[in-house]
Amino acid sequence: MNRFVCFCLASLAIALAVPGCTNNSPSRTAETSGENSKAPAGSRKIRVALLPKIKGISYFSSCYKGAEEAANELGIELIYDGPTDGDPRKQAEMIEQWTIDGVDVICVAPNAPDVVAGAMKEARAAGIAVITWDADGTNESRSFFVNQASAQSIGEGLVNAMLKDLGPATEGDVVIISADATSANQNAWIETMKPALARSKLKLATIKYPGENASNALADGRDVISKYPDLKGIFGISTVSFPGAAEAVEQSGKSGQVLVTGLSTPNDMKKFVHTGTVRSVVLWNTVDLGYLTIHVAKALATREIKDGTTTIKAGRLGEKSIVGDNVMLGDIMVFTKDNIDQFDF
Amino acid sequence: MSNSQTLTVDHDSRPVCFSTRFFRLIRQREAGLLLLISLTSVVVGIHDVRFFSVDVWRDILVRCAPTAIVACGVMLVVVTGEIDISVGSLMALLAAVMGRMLSEQEFDISCWIGIPVTLGLGTLIGVFTGSLVSMGRVPSIIVTLGLLTALRGLTTLMMGGKNIDRLPEGLTQVAKQGFLGVPISILAAAGVIGLTSVLIHHIPLGRRLYALGSSAESARMAGLSEVRLKLFAFGYTGFLTALATIVDVPRLPKIESGIGSEFELLVVTCVVVGGVAISGGQGRLIGVLLAVVLMTMIRPALTFMDIGEAGEKWTRAIQGMFILLAVVSDSLFSWRQRHSGKVHAA
Repeated sequence: MNRFVCFCLASLAIALAVPGCTNNSPSRTAETSGENSKAPAGSRKIRVALLPKIKGISYFSSCYKGAEEAANELGIELIYDGPTDGDPRKQAEMIEQWTIDGVDVICVAPNAPDVVAGAMKEARAAGIAVITWDADGTNESRSFFVNQASAQSIGEGLVNAMLKDLGPATEGDVVIISADATSANQNAWIETMKPALARSKLKLATIKYPGENASNALADGRDVISKYPDLKGIFGISTVSFPGAAEAVEQSGKSGQVLVTGLSTPNDMKKFVHTGTVRSVVLWNTVDLGYLTIHVAKALATREIKDGTTTIKAGRLGEKSIVGDNVMLGDIMVFTKDNIDQFDF
Repeated sequence: MSNSQTLTVDHDSRPVCFSTRFFRLIRQREAGLLLLISLTSVVVGIHDVRFFSVDVWRDILVRCAPTAIVACGVMLVVVTGEIDISVGSLMALLAAVMGRMLSEQEFDISCWIGIPVTLGLGTLIGVFTGSLVSMGRVPSIIVTLGLLTALRGLTTLMMGGKNIDRLPEGLTQVAKQGFLGVPISILAAAGVIGLTSVLIHHIPLGRRLYALGSSAESARMAGLSEVRLKLFAFGYTGFLTALATIVDVPRLPKIESGIGSEFELLVVTCVVVGGVAISGGQGRLIGVLLAVVLMTMIRPALTFMDIGEAGEKWTRAIQGMFILLAVVSDSLFSWRQRHSGKVHAA
């Protein structure tokens, strides 16, 4: 019987390991842009490694597009690589490898700040500049964080999008469907949405917390539609609750009567934008996020920015402000019926 | 057979002191659950009469359906003295496989092939779990704990970091609007409940499952095959999980790797709150179904109660309180029963 157990466990282990291996090999062959990787030391190009949370998903691919653009503009050798499964330990391994290779700057979008912090600190100790982008890491592990949008701009952007879609004079109830009651990002956005809503004629009826659970998000959407007859709009402020709320409105036959807006990627929301349930999808410009990240990396490598610098010149984006150690991309981007089909992520 | 008959559900054949047939019918735990369900509905309904609208309850039943379907299987697993805490991850994997097969953007296979394959895969994984438990003699909590993580990991690989969208129109229409006005998940749940009820009460196999759970030793001496019974219970659970996936997942806006998270906990909670003994051998389907209704109605009940923004943060705590209430009401009932029994004896 024991041998049977061993056999079963072994076969399960193999079944799990095999796809892991096959997925790993292509991710090892890093995509590089710029031809002269072995240029002589004197005229050597700056080498920047860009590490996404997950390689191969459309969100980060669109960031890479902007990064490539900046790299070509600035004559930087760009290495883009990351785990295909979002495993932070693989992120740490890649950072270690780049430290050995001696790149100039490493830009990390950490999946788990604590797991990659060790490797990031070692890289810094070896004299490599380390920054974070898309998601922040622990404080000592990086010099700057390229922040895609402030809580203020997201929260107010959401409310403004709703007011524009409904007409600014509309009176009635709105509901926020968030993620978990403990989700830090969502709570920060809610705090900036409240005063913005208070200035309008809309009344915040309640906030629901379905967690990252699609069934609960759909259920909460259906319930608030039955509960509040004067409901004018729903904010779905996570990538799970936004489509969930939109689906609930459509299943309740209230498309066009109850408007839904929120935060998600364009691909998830396209079908709802085309049916008219959703008129605005709020996010940041992901291409610009990649573009700005490479400009920050270049500025660090050439020591154009250091602690205490308050602005940075970022090519076509113009001057961007640095608040503390956060480089701000600035404004959010609103996707509507007119432009959403141009984006594929 | 008569040997196993004495080990069956009918532990309550002694004279019951409640005079009405109603209370004879629904025993302790069921009565407590029914009381909680009615009390909650009345309180919420008085606060906001919209809670009693047909639409709201139709939707609550639709949400009950997947939990009820899978609970029928997990209940039988628990009755044999085992447990299955992997159904949430299994649902995610099956949703990913089904999505990749059927979606217009993926392989675009016909539903007539995709649905049987999904059902088959679910059953197969269930039987595999059952074989590890019964033939491999690994405790089921460890096997299914491992599968909970492993199947979720496989799902992430299957999805390749993308969400799956655009299931065939026919499938989503049937899931959302139903068949002749009745949502398909409710029809499926009704079918499964009927089937499970027949299995428990009218087929020897059902009685053997209870016999195995109440005493594995006696069951073995009576000539029952532990391996076959457990393979059946786990296989049935796998099949039902696939069925729940097929009728419920197309209602959702997209298939993402987080589907079914914490579903296993909800199902096990319903089975245990429904009065199925975790040590095996005891438990009634009606109790489990009432527990499913109670656990599902808490979310909408809180919405209709206007508990406010601060109150919403307490949702989970309130859900936990309901679990405790259901269990406590049970012991109150049994205390009353014992108490009135003494009076009668005197």
